[in-house]
Amino acid sequence: MIKAKDIYKSFGELEVLSGISFEVEQGEAISIIGPSGSGKSTLLRSLIGLEEINSGELYIEGISVRESGKKAYQKMGMVFQGFNLFPHKTVMGNLIEAPLVVKGIKKSAAKENAAALLKKVGLSDKKDSYPAQLSGGQKQRVAIARALAMEPDIMLFDEPTSSLDPELVGEVLTVIRDLAEENITMLIVTHEMGFARDVSDRVFFMDHGQIISDTVPEKIFVNPESERIQNFLTKILSQN
Amino acid sequence: MFDYIINVSGYILEGSLITFQLYLVTAIFSVILGIAGALGKISKIPLLESILSFYTWVFRGTPLLLQLFFAYYGLPVLGITLQPFPAAALTFIVNYGAYFTEIFRGGIESINEGQYEAAKVLGMNYRQTMSRIIIPQTVKRILPATSNEAINLVKDSALVAVIGLGDLLRAAKVAVTRDFSIIPFIIAAVFYLIISSVIVTVFRKLEEKYSVYE
Repeated sequence: MIKAKDIYKSFGELEVLSGISFEVEQGEAISIIGPSGSGKSTLLRSLIGLEEINSGELYIEGISVRESGKKAYQKMGMVFQGFNLFPHKTVMGNLIEAPLVVKGIKKSAAKENAAALLKKVGLSDKKDSYPAQLSGGQKQRVAIARALAMEPDIMLFDEPTSSLDPELVGEVLTVIRDLAEENITMLIVTHEMGFARDVSDRVFFMDHGQIISDTVPEKIFVNPESERIQNFLTKILSQN
Repeated sequence: MFDYIINVSGYILEGSLITFQLYLVTAIFSVILGIAGALGKISKIPLLESILSFYTWVFRGTPLLLQLFFAYYGLPVLGITLQPFPAAALTFIVNYGAYFTEIFRGGIESINEGQYEAAKVLGMNYRQTMSRIIIPQTVKRILPATSNEAINLVKDSALVAVIGLGDLLRAAKVAVTRDFSIIPFIIAAVFYLIISSVIVTVFRKLEEKYSVYE
């Protein structure tokens, strides 16, 4: 589904990704954890073309990003930490915008599809609201539905709950959990360790621009081999 | 007395036809020029940015009256002779276009980077992103500044009297001189106030309309 080989990315002098390689199979849910500044978000953003990689090979469903980036990116949807909903459009307007404009599907069909997605994220009653009238958790659920409206094969979540009040985190995680059960391929950058442990098929632990561990959650959370991972988990868990 | 007011009002109203025409032409084309200028200024094409910066620097930094004289009395020296109305319209469009370039640029730049990213990951191209996501959000933010310019334009339009265009103010002045009465000036002031009030109201309605989403 995704194949990354030896990816490097620098911002000026600062190397953020230092030789990243991994593969993701169809239907896998991958959590990406690690200290801040380790390159987690940059990796995710590079996959969908928000950052241009300096070198390396990236294939999305066998399509080379180097050769036909746009086509490759269309297979993916992304959810941001800051939601990035379109404030001038209603919830329904946010959901149908890209299907109408990019895919050119009929308005009635787009609305029907959007209504089904809103039902799925539990926000059917909010379809005529504007983003400013929603809570953070509701905004993020709309953002997830908006990404799903383009029917991506792969969903990328960039710290989807990091800007939410603690009591709103659960509702968003529940939606993502449901998606995992539907076997949508997902990569999730998160600081929610409990969630990462329950939901993921594999966990990438990143540090200094590298994936230093790529393994099943039990191995990381129950029995971490490396001292760096142990230290990180101790720190994070003591914060919670 | 009453008959005189009606008569003079009719005369001034005829003059205001020119004012309306100038207003309409300037409003339409200076806004178009402003949008194009703003998009050029954020285009990250250095030459285009420099040219546009020079343009807004010159036209915002010199008196509109000077620009009007330049177009009407100056250009003929260079062999380009314009009739009063085209000279006035051209000057106003280019002058207001410079202000709108800066206002619109500021509005576009105030939109969060996340909006571009969201549009991009949804597969929208530059044109779709600008026309459907960025510019519609900009409209709300630039309304107050645009409203100011719209009112300024009403008053600035009176400058054309100096190049002999028979606008609202000139009609009033002619009537004052002819009849040796101050009433035409008062009528002219009332006309300007009415036009300004209509514009203020229109913009207030627009701001109300756009306030639903924030």
